[in-house]
Amino acid sequence: MNRTTSLLSVALTLAVGHSAIADEPVSFRKDLAPILLDQCLACHGPKKAEGGLRVDSFERVTKEGDSGSPGFVAGDLELSEAFRRMASDDADERMPAEADALPAEQLGLFKRWIEEGAKFDGEDPAADLITIVPAPTHPEPPAAYRYAIPVAAVVFSHDGNELIVGGYHELTVWNPADGTLIRRIKNVGQRTRALSLSPDGTLLAVGCGAPGRLGEARVFDVAKGEVVNVLGTTSDEVLDVAFSPQGDRLAVGAADGAIRVFEMPSGKEQLSITSHSDWVMALAWNADGTKLASGSRDKTAKVFDAKTGELLVTYSGHGEAVKGVAFHPENNDVFSAGTDKKIHRWQIADAKKIADVSFGGEVFKLPLSGEYFFASSADKTVRQFEAKTQKQLHSFAGHQDWALSVAYHAATKRVASGGFDGNVRIWNAEDGSEVASLFAAPGYETAAK
Amino acid sequence: MAVQEIRIGGFGIVALAVAIGLTRADDFKLEPVQVGEPQRIEVFPPVVNLAGIREQMQLVVTGFYADGSVQDLTRAAEFSSTNAEVFTLDGSVAHPKADGSADLKVSVGGQESLISVNVANQGTPQNVSFEYGTLAALSKQGCNAGACHGSPSGKGGFRLSLRAFDPELDKLTLIHEDFGRRTNSLEPAESLLLLKPLMKVPHGGGLKMRTNDAAYEVIRDWIAEGCNLDPPEQARCVKLQVYPPSGRLLKRPAHTQQLAVLAHYSDGSVRDVTELAVYSSSDEAVASITEGGLVVGKDRGEAAVIVRYMEFIESSFVTFIRDIEGFAWNNPPTNNYIDEAVDAKLQQLKFLPSSVCTDEEFIRRVYLDVIGILPTVEEVQTFLADESSDKRAKQIDQLLERPEFAKFWTLKWGDLLRLTSKQVGADGVYKYHRWVERAIAANMPYDQFANELLTARGSTHQNPPANFYRTATDTNDCVETISQVFLGARLQCAKCHNHPFERWTQDNYYGMAAFFNRVQRKKTPKPDETFIWVSSEGEVTQPRTGKQMKPWLPGDGDVENSEVDDRRGIFAEWLTRPDNPFFAKIEANRIWSHLLGRGIVDPPDDFRDSNPPSNAALLESLSADFVKSGFDRKHVIRTILNSRTYQSSFEPNDFNKDDTKYFSHYQPRLLSAEQLLDAICHVTAVPEKFGSLPPTTLATQLPAPDLVKHEFLKIFGQPERQTVCQCERSSESNLGMAIQFFNGPLIYNKLRDGNNRFRQLLDQQKQDQEIITELHLAAVNRPPTEKELAATMNHISSKDEQIAQHNTETDAKVAAMNKAIADMRLTFEVKLFDAKLQAIPESLRADVKTAVAMEEGKRNEVQKYLVAKLGASLSVSTDEVTNALDEAAKKMVADSTTQIAELEKQKQAPGSRRIEALEDVCWALLNTNEFLFQH
Repeated sequence: MNRTTSLLSVALTLAVGHSAIADEPVSFRKDLAPILLDQCLACHGPKKAEGGLRVDSFERVTKEGDSGSPGFVAGDLELSEAFRRMASDDADERMPAEADALPAEQLGLFKRWIEEGAKFDGEDPAADLITIVPAPTHPEPPAAYRYAIPVAAVVFSHDGNELIVGGYHELTVWNPADGTLIRRIKNVGQRTRALSLSPDGTLLAVGCGAPGRLGEARVFDVAKGEVVNVLGTTSDEVLDVAFSPQGDRLAVGAADGAIRVFEMPSGKEQLSITSHSDWVMALAWNADGTKLASGSRDKTAKVFDAKTGELLVTYSGHGEAVKGVAFHPENNDVFSAGTDKKIHRWQIADAKKIADVSFGGEVFKLPLSGEYFFASSADKTVRQFEAKTQKQLHSFAGHQDWALSVAYHAATKRVASGGFDGNVRIWNAEDGSEVASLFAAPGYETAAK
Repeated sequence: MAVQEIRIGGFGIVALAVAIGLTRADDFKLEPVQVGEPQRIEVFPPVVNLAGIREQMQLVVTGFYADGSVQDLTRAAEFSSTNAEVFTLDGSVAHPKADGSADLKVSVGGQESLISVNVANQGTPQNVSFEYGTLAALSKQGCNAGACHGSPSGKGGFRLSLRAFDPELDKLTLIHEDFGRRTNSLEPAESLLLLKPLMKVPHGGGLKMRTNDAAYEVIRDWIAEGCNLDPPEQARCVKLQVYPPSGRLLKRPAHTQQLAVLAHYSDGSVRDVTELAVYSSSDEAVASITEGGLVVGKDRGEAAVIVRYMEFIESSFVTFIRDIEGFAWNNPPTNNYIDEAVDAKLQQLKFLPSSVCTDEEFIRRVYLDVIGILPTVEEVQTFLADESSDKRAKQIDQLLERPEFAKFWTLKWGDLLRLTSKQVGADGVYKYHRWVERAIAANMPYDQFANELLTARGSTHQNPPANFYRTATDTNDCVETISQVFLGARLQCAKCHNHPFERWTQDNYYGMAAFFNRVQRKKTPKPDETFIWVSSEGEVTQPRTGKQMKPWLPGDGDVENSEVDDRRGIFAEWLTRPDNPFFAKIEANRIWSHLLGRGIVDPPDDFRDSNPPSNAALLESLSADFVKSGFDRKHVIRTILNSRTYQSSFEPNDFNKDDTKYFSHYQPRLLSAEQLLDAICHVTAVPEKFGSLPPTTLATQLPAPDLVKHEFLKIFGQPERQTVCQCERSSESNLGMAIQFFNGPLIYNKLRDGNNRFRQLLDQQKQDQEIITELHLAAVNRPPTEKELAATMNHISSKDEQIAQHNTETDAKVAAMNKAIADMRLTFEVKLFDAKLQAIPESLRADVKTAVAMEEGKRNEVQKYLVAKLGASLSVSTDEVTNALDEAAKKMVADSTTQIAELEKQKQAPGSRRIEALEDVCWALLNTNEFLFQH
């Protein structure tokens, strides 16, 4: 496949088009930051700061590196070391190193910006570039999927008439009664790792992103299928999103180890909790919205005060990555699960484990719905538990590959699950029977045949 | 004298030494190929079969010349296809296009060769193999190296199995883990697995791949095809073939060799994997290999090219020579086959051997190597005086029969057998030590020696070799100990994963374990005694596969019918077979390394393809001789000692000064801790006492390092015998050593000892020259040179000059002090006189004073009269002065008098500092490199 358009280059094209056509001053945020992110960050970022220069914030870009010269100096092309290197004719000196020179058009933008005074048009010069770049418009999903992709997130619409499934640069919406495609919601990050519906069913938070490049929590108007907000942008995937039971807040967990809490629907950031030292893979609110639980690849689960962000307890009993969390209905205990192939139930008061449930493979997210919680596992089963007693009520078998995600609709008593192979199954929770099975990849089966 | 070569032992670290990042041809300056006029050319492979769309073939063209020389012409040859529809060429690589057959024409240097190319299956889809494509590609780029994602905990949350030894784990990690985030079959080039090493997104490991690398295409295609796993019926790779095989000799300007690496599969198919094989060089100073399999010679010498493809490892030895200006082989005399083998290599690489060492050097060298201690003064004198032509051989024979021989070589085996009282008990250590010593003294054949250790059972007291299984405390320890001591292989790595650089696999490790896991160890009621017995059951399970392992022998494979009383017998029988590829070689090489300071394979207990012998023929003949002699260790030692190679001077010449591994000259090395301590005791004639051990026990004869802790020995690298690795005996020099020799307590006390060598000689009324000569004979086993003697004598006589000067200075100080006292007394005397003068009528005073002050003879009559009349009443006595002194004056006089007495005492008699001078001389001798080094 030759269509290797990265989302950033798409964003770039759009942004460049904008400034190039209109006779406006060059915008650092819209025009230059995307180029820096795409072309420079890999070598001049937190992992590798070649030449002592980092380009992950405006402040850093304009600081001096080892050469002693600042990257960019207002009005002075000669003194702007970064520009000088980008424009150099000497291939050994030219940036980006060991790559083609920047297109003249991009170089021209840098030149004009410097001449125009090298101004910063964002709010915080110290902010990560990725957070100030305008939210991209994502590429179109494939017209027909050559391969199905892992389904890491599924959710039922409020009325239970739609099943929303994470796709490739899209969400696909299916009829849970018969498994037929209803509609496709576009402008979504490359992969979707989490879906959370607001309690009133009007908004859908999508945790999505491109591995190693971008993560976002995109908020959609469910009915219209349009983006209404993009929150918590980071440089790697957003792995979980969770609306508070009151619908007034959205928690976002990402690969940068941070948990961000936004006021909804305004999208104002209320909290940024950086207690975890590795990916935040799971989030859950307690019933009254006062506490927030999290699971992380740092092998711990934690509970925080949802108002202050204060850390209340850390549970280290898994010894492996924690990929799912849920509050016990009485709010004194937490369920957590992960790579150790177990669900642990432990007490918030003293982080003591009081029970566990074993699986044949690692266990992913643990959605809680009323008196039940559900689990999907690499052992290819999806299971339903009585939340109060963690008694297993059903084990839904049928997936041919890892079951990655699960959702429940209480009114219609439907369970839906997504598999690594792209297979989505819908079950009747009353009798455990299968209602429908589909591949959440439009055109895939036809293509396969 | 040459600086000691410092070697660092250890394993594990090796993982880091493997170069990260690929070596590319443009990293080197390549000499153009001088094609000349080959008599004929040969193309490898002789027939090319390309039976799949993913196949290709690296061609290698060799030119043969009239003078018998050979060179790689691949870089210079022209390749063409007679039918570009069937196959095409990209440089020296053939690519299939369509089914059919055509010829490939190679022309170079006026020669032409035509080979046929058969292309098939071009209409059949061929997926990239997960194992043989993707995992091989990841190995090629170094992704799964020990320092990167192959480390046990991975890197950045991404963990691969070390060198892809566990495809199951890698499948999980690459495909399933973290919701499949690493691969993207819809947009393969957007896969994290590619973006990271390309540095399109930040990658902690930096740039590790380029889009034109073969690995990139393989991985991208595998993803594009949907990340398929290999079908269970897929043919397995069974063999790796490297062309050219070992033995290629290239002479500058020829210095490059293209390799072709073929993987043979269980279905009989053969595929070119030159692009995906991983290359390393046993000696980067001699040769490097590019990622495309081009060997580039950098200096003369031999290098093993190690080629790895999945779990297969093959090597090919390449020798690089060049003309050396002014070099002419001088046909040095040879004493035995050793010299012939060494000379053959030296002549080939154009090194000239050093001349034979002096008798003085020989006697010192051979004593230290055979019995661990220095010769006595008399022994040196007798040997030097002997004028017979075979005196060196006689000396060797004589030393091999001395009891110190067995004691000293027991020390070496004690290191390997981990002989410590902590590990075998206070009683056990003596018994075990005595058993080894007796075995060596009786020259027990080495096969019997090994057999007795390996099959030992019963009480460790009654049967001391049973302690072997006491020091090897469990099955894994047995496998690791036995493989390192008897197979020369460091197998520890294979416990947890396939050996990263060697053919040893995890299966091999546990297969060997199956011989030893039935050994049982039981404490008996007697203190310190363990009973070793063998259970009749117990199997080994490979922890990764869960498979029950059959006993496995290197080279022989699985052992069927292993249900015998004691499986160890099967192993011991195999090990000590005359044709065992490891047993004799390891021991012969170990003996060689003890005597020459460097193994033919070095380190001597690290035999592997990637660490080849510096002279394979030498090792072969030595080990063949060892086997033929009935595993007679003394015979091997004797043969080596009698060789010219052993007896060559340590002084290099212009044509061998760069050589450190081909034995063209003797390699000086620091004496071992024990040798050094014994040598100091010998020179000073002040023996060291080791706790309750018999007073005659030497450091080189200590049964165990933990019987008596000795600070000096520890500082100089005495091993604690915690491991079986020869590297535990440290040969690194450190500051502590320098301090010991500068003014450490051990040497200081021996130099000051009232009964040491030079004090005894002084008591015997020996002259300085005799004493100096004897000290030299004792320390460096030769009389002093004239220059040394003169300098030393001068040092001693300079002490007398120093004494004279000192005494003169002292006298002057005393005189000055006396004068100061006198001057002060005079002032008081004058005061007293003036007081007495007051008694005389004032009119006379002036005259009287003048008269008294006047010299007697010059006085006139009046003055004479005045003095006679009044002199007595005016005279001041000494006592009067003394009594008149005030406090300050009294103190000054008292202090000065004490100081004068002190100074008088410090005056020295001539010759009184001779002993101090001799201490200096002895100290200086102990600090010479000549004393400190075996040379």
